[in-house]
Amino acid sequence: MRKSRVTFAASMLAAAALTLAACGGSDDSSSADAGSEDTAAEETVEETVEETDDGEAAEEEAVDTADGPFEVYALLPQGNDQPYGTTYLPPMEETAAELGINLTITNSEYDADKQASECEVAVAAQPDGIILWPAVADSIRPCLEAANNAGIPVWITNADVNPEDTDLTFGYSGTDSYGQGAASAEMMCEFADGAEIGVIQVNGLTGNSVATLRGNGFKETIAELCPNVTILAEQPGNWNKDESQIAASEMLTSVGPDNVQGIYAADDTMVAGAIDAAAAQGLDVDGLIITSIGNTFLGNPLVESGDLDGTVFQSSSWDGENAVRGIYAAMTGETDLGRDDAGSVLYMPNPKVTAQNYDDPAVAPEW
Amino acid sequence: MSQTQTISLGSAAQEGVWGRIRTVASRRTEGRGLALLAVIIIVVALLEPLVFTAYQVTLGRIALVGIVALGLTAVILMGELDLSVASTLAVSGVIMASIPDLTLGIIAALATGLIVGMINAFFVSVVGINSFIATLGMLFALRGLAFVISDEAPVSLTNKDVGIAFGQPLIGPLTPRILIFVLVFIAIQVFVSRVKAGREFFAVGGNRQAARDAGIPVTRRIFTGFMISGFVASLAGVINTLERTTADPTAGSTVLLASFAAAIIGGNYLKGGRGSIVGTLIGAAALGILQVALTLSGVQVPVQQIFIGVILLVAVTTDPNSLRSVAGSLRTLRQGRAKSPGS
Repeated sequence: MRKSRVTFAASMLAAAALTLAACGGSDDSSSADAGSEDTAAEETVEETVEETDDGEAAEEEAVDTADGPFEVYALLPQGNDQPYGTTYLPPMEETAAELGINLTITNSEYDADKQASECEVAVAAQPDGIILWPAVADSIRPCLEAANNAGIPVWITNADVNPEDTDLTFGYSGTDSYGQGAASAEMMCEFADGAEIGVIQVNGLTGNSVATLRGNGFKETIAELCPNVTILAEQPGNWNKDESQIAASEMLTSVGPDNVQGIYAADDTMVAGAIDAAAAQGLDVDGLIITSIGNTFLGNPLVESGDLDGTVFQSSSWDGENAVRGIYAAMTGETDLGRDDAGSVLYMPNPKVTAQNYDDPAVAPEW
Repeated sequence: MSQTQTISLGSAAQEGVWGRIRTVASRRTEGRGLALLAVIIIVVALLEPLVFTAYQVTLGRIALVGIVALGLTAVILMGELDLSVASTLAVSGVIMASIPDLTLGIIAALATGLIVGMINAFFVSVVGINSFIATLGMLFALRGLAFVISDEAPVSLTNKDVGIAFGQPLIGPLTPRILIFVLVFIAIQVFVSRVKAGREFFAVGGNRQAARDAGIPVTRRIFTGFMISGFVASLAGVINTLERTTADPTAGSTVLLASFAAAIIGGNYLKGGRGSIVGTLIGAAALGILQVALTLSGVQVPVQQIFIGVILLVAVTTDPNSLRSVAGSLRTLRQGRAKSPGS
C-alpha cells in the first residue's frame, strides 16, 4: 500500500506538471505572482503486522486475525513540524505495527476548521477507529457526534475533551494538563518558602486548551497554596522560545525587573526564552525562582545548570504509545462508550524534576 | 458605386472553428486551472474513488477552501490584496458567539465584515496606503480584537444544538455550508459578469488611470470590492462558528494562503484586470479534491507540501506572460553575449 501511495503522488505530480506546462504554451490565461499554500498538512504512516513469537503476542495475533488488521485515523494537530510531535509519532507507529493497525495520520496545524474537515473525511472512510487529539477542545463535539452516528469509536489523546463531551468518547490517554500547571505551581510555592515574591507567567498559545488548562492550574494552585506569591503579569509565548523571550522582556520592563523574583513558563522551550530575557535585563538568573513543564532536551540541562529550578516531566513516547493502545482497547471491546470502564482514562505520570533528580533515568528527556 | 472592404485584425483574422476556439480561449483565464482540475479528477477517480463516492465530504472541503477565496477574488480583480480575511473570519465568529441572541449575533458578525471592508477600502483608496500594508495592519488588529473579545479562549454558542443541526444535510446530502457556498458563487459571478459595477472591477484592475478617465468611480468600486471580501469572510466565520458550535479566536490560520492558492490556480492575475470567479471556483475545487484525496491516500505531509508547491509554481510559470518574459530575457542575454566579444 505504501507503494501505491508513492505511485499516487508521483502520478498526480507528473500528470499535473505535464498538463499544466502543455496548457501554458497554448492558453493565453494570465496568472500571477508567487503564492503558497498551507494545504493540508496530513501525514500518514502505514504499518504492517509484525510476526511475534511469544505466547502473549500469539494470543494477540489471534485477536488480530479475527478482527484485524484495523484501519485507524489519527487526527492530530501537529506532527513532525513540532518537537513533541516528532517524538510522539515513532512510538505510536511502533505500537500500531505491534497491534496490527494501519494508521492514517493527519496534521491540522492547530486549525480547528481544518481538523473538523479531516474528521469528515475520516468518518466517510469508515475506519475501525479514530484517535483524536483536539486542536480546540470546545469545537470538537460535531466530529464526535458524526463518528458516533457512524459507529466509529473515538479515543482522545494528549488533551482531553470538555467534560460534557466525554460520553461521546471511548476514553482518554495523555497528560493532566491542569495537574501539570498545578505541579509547577507547587514547586514555585515550595521554593518561595513563604517569602513574598512577584512572578511573571508565560503561557502557551492563546486559545489552545492545553495552554489554558496549564495556565489555570498554575494560577489557581498559587492562589490556593501560597498567597505570598503574586502573579504580576502574564503573556502568551505561543510555545515558542523567541516569542517567549519578547513576552518576558516586555513583562519585566512593564512591572520593573526589581519587582520580579520568579518566572513560570508553560513549557521548557518558552522558559529558555524567558531566562534569556531575564539575563538580558541584568537579573541574576540563579537568584530567581523559575519553574516550567516538560523536562525536554532544552529544559533538562537548564535544571542541571541551576537556571531552571524545577520542571514537570512529560513523556511524548508514553503519549503516542498509549493513544494506540487506547483505540485498540476500544476496537476490541475492552472499553466502551463513556468513561466508566477501568481503562478508559490513562493519565501520564508527571513527576517533578529538580536538581535532585534531573539525572534519574526514569525522567530522561525524550523531546 | 461604393465597394466595401472588410479588414480583419488580430484574433478576428483567425478563421474556422479552431480559430474561434482560440479566440475564445485567449479571452479566458481559467485554462490552466481547468486542465489541472481535469487531471486531478481523472487520477483521483482511478486511484481514490472514495473522494467522489463520499462527494458531500469533498464538496464540504471545497466550500471550506473556496468561500473566502470567492470574496477575495473581487479584490484581486482590481489588483488589490486583502490579507485580513482570516482575521475577519475569526473576529466575526467571536462577535457572533459572544452575543446570546443568535440572530443578532449573525447580523453583528456580518456587519463586522462589511465595516472591516470599508475600513480597508478607506485606507487603500482614500488615504492611499498600499493594500498589502493596510490589510496586513488590519490582520493583526482584528486578530488581537478577537483575543480581547473572547478573553483569549474559545467562545461557545449559547445553544450548541442549533449549531449541530446547522451542520446536518439540508437538501439531500448537501449541508448549508455547501449551499451557501453555491449561492455566494452565483451572486459574485453574476455581479462581476452581468452587473455594470462588477464588470468595472476589471477596468479598475487593468488600468486604474484609464478607468478614472473613462468616468468609472474607482474609489467606489474599491469600497465595493473590499466590502464583498469582508462580508464573505465574515460569512465564513458565521458558518464555521455554527458548524463547530464554538468561535475560536485563532480560527482561520490556514485560510489565507489556501484562498490565495485557489485564486492563483484558477488563473486570477494578482496585478488585477484579468481573472474570473469561475476560475477561483475551479482552483478551489482542484485544491479541495486534491486535499481530500491525499488525506485518504495517506500521503505524508512533506510530500503533500512539495506537491502543492510544485503545482503553484507550475501554475505561475506556465502563464504565457511569464513564458514570454523568460523568452525575452534569454533573447537579451544571448544577444548581449553575441555582442560582447567584439566590444
